[in-house]
Amino acid sequence: MRATSHESLLAWLDTLIERSTLVAPQRVEREWLYRPVSSAAAIAFDFQRTTVSPKGYFFPETEVLLDIERRGREVVMGEPDLAGDQLLFAIRPCDARALLVLDALLVDRPPADSYYARRRERTTLVGLACPQMWDGCFCTSLGSGPADASAVDLMLYHDGDGYLVETVTDKGAALVAGVDWPEVDRPAPEPEITAEVVSVRPPDEWLAAFDEVVWQRLADRCLSCHACTYVCPTCRCFDVRDDLTAAGPGYVHVQRLRAWDSCMSPAYRRIAGGHNPRPDTAQRLRNRFFCKFCYSPRDFCAVACVGCGRCIAACPAGVDIVEVLRGV
Amino acid sequence: MTQEIETGIRIRVKKLLDLGEVSCVIGHEHGPRGHTRPAFVYDSADAERLVWDRTCHHNLVAYVRDKIATLARGAEPGSTPRVAVVARPCDVRSLNVLIHEGQVTRESVFVVGVACPGMLDAGDPEAQDGQALHCRYCTERVPVFYDALVGDPPKVKVPDEPWPGVAEVEAMPPAERLAFWTQEFDRCIRCYACRQACPACYCFECLAEQVDPPWVSIAHRVPQKAFFHIMRAYHLAGRCSGCQACEAACPVHLPLSLLNRKIAAEVEALFGYVAGANPDTPPPLATFRKDEELPL
Repeated sequence: MRATSHESLLAWLDTLIERSTLVAPQRVEREWLYRPVSSAAAIAFDFQRTTVSPKGYFFPETEVLLDIERRGREVVMGEPDLAGDQLLFAIRPCDARALLVLDALLVDRPPADSYYARRRERTTLVGLACPQMWDGCFCTSLGSGPADASAVDLMLYHDGDGYLVETVTDKGAALVAGVDWPEVDRPAPEPEITAEVVSVRPPDEWLAAFDEVVWQRLADRCLSCHACTYVCPTCRCFDVRDDLTAAGPGYVHVQRLRAWDSCMSPAYRRIAGGHNPRPDTAQRLRNRFFCKFCYSPRDFCAVACVGCGRCIAACPAGVDIVEVLRGV
Repeated sequence: MTQEIETGIRIRVKKLLDLGEVSCVIGHEHGPRGHTRPAFVYDSADAERLVWDRTCHHNLVAYVRDKIATLARGAEPGSTPRVAVVARPCDVRSLNVLIHEGQVTRESVFVVGVACPGMLDAGDPEAQDGQALHCRYCTERVPVFYDALVGDPPKVKVPDEPWPGVAEVEAMPPAERLAFWTQEFDRCIRCYACRQACPACYCFECLAEQVDPPWVSIAHRVPQKAFFHIMRAYHLAGRCSGCQACEAACPVHLPLSLLNRKIAAEVEALFGYVAGANPDTPPPLATFRKDEELPL
């Protein structure tokens, strides 16, 4: 473990901006959000949980999969430029673990999502341990905790006015190579665990509850908006469509876009003939929880929830995923 | 004050369910973390779950139409399901809009009207007096209609100055105003919580999600977000009751009411109409009269 002052950390970050895009928490009106910053001074170190997870830096809200231009008989197709490195600074342990979930779902089993995989590859994660658990946080129920360094490259812990720095991976080591922060022999402060640990049932127990009336009762208040799925660090559903962006005589420009989509929307599962296997809110809400706690662990060996609590905070109707885990 | 409302709601709801006058009551309860949230009560034994305080900012009328439809699917042929809804004055005005638009019949809803003391700010507990901005300027204490009224109409002092916000944005030079809205819409996540929480947004397929023709790209970029919000505000012209459920629902706290209030003021100036304020007056944009003239 090494120790650094706040000022020295900022100076180090400013040198890194020259080599990569620095993404860090910022205050935007009432929200904390991960945003690219042009100077380390712009980082909101006092942030708690950002309103939206940083998954968008790996799986953007909107991305161009293919750029297609036709001039006369000539067709030119181009892929997005994914070359630059990015540094995700002050990622929370839950959000970093969410990337392991996305790896399992999107990369580990072929065919890999190459867009996600390339962004993941070129990104270094610098974690910042949570000084405490906030309202809705339940990471300790998902086998993690506010100081879990298992999914980052480099981990920072608050230490008085400065930080303790723990190197976790080679990528992390490369980041601090040549930095003159002294080695210290003291452990990172232990954040207080304030959330009760809730047990997560195995997939077969969820399947046994598939027909329970509780899903109907729970869905009474669900408004079928997309808030829970869009703030979630592991929700990864998307839609793909071709946008005609420009056209003229002998000229057509089309972008094949991929954008976030949500299983909470009635239209999400609408198919040819107007049929819908999940026409009711209850079926859609149940599916969201089953996706996380039944289907993903069963099919991809990963519970698709990290206990960040964002869906609880974002839900305009008070749907509470911990209440669901408790068996309502 | 709120305790009296809460007690009144429980007594009334218990009776309604005991007598079988309604099959479901839509009210508020405390969630597991103590926050108030919408509650659906089907059994009089559960009436005790219902609460009411100044954080009950959901417009529960948003649930009424679908709840009646769901109950109708399981009901005896020929019988009409009836639900009760706990509603503040602004909520009742939005219910009135739905009735005029043929979405809900007056007979299918039992209105437990709340004599409203005004709500606390949902997103900003440090707001002045803790009172939500729209409630601080609201003079409406009693709903325009109800089947039961709970609470005593409180005396609330309304400030003499105009409600701030819209005028300030209107005073901005165009470039500054564009920058303001671009910055606001930039953090919109296109989750549609505003639309879903709004009683007046009941389109089967929203224009923003229409596939054929695809009016709006699936991209989550500022132009699509801005288009959605401006389009929604226009579609709420003469229909928005100003309940601010949209703002309360927004996970990124967009100042959506600036748009709605601007258009509500235009409608009032043009037609002398306030959404749902009169049980007998239909919404102006859904009406055409022989003697109608454009007030230019």
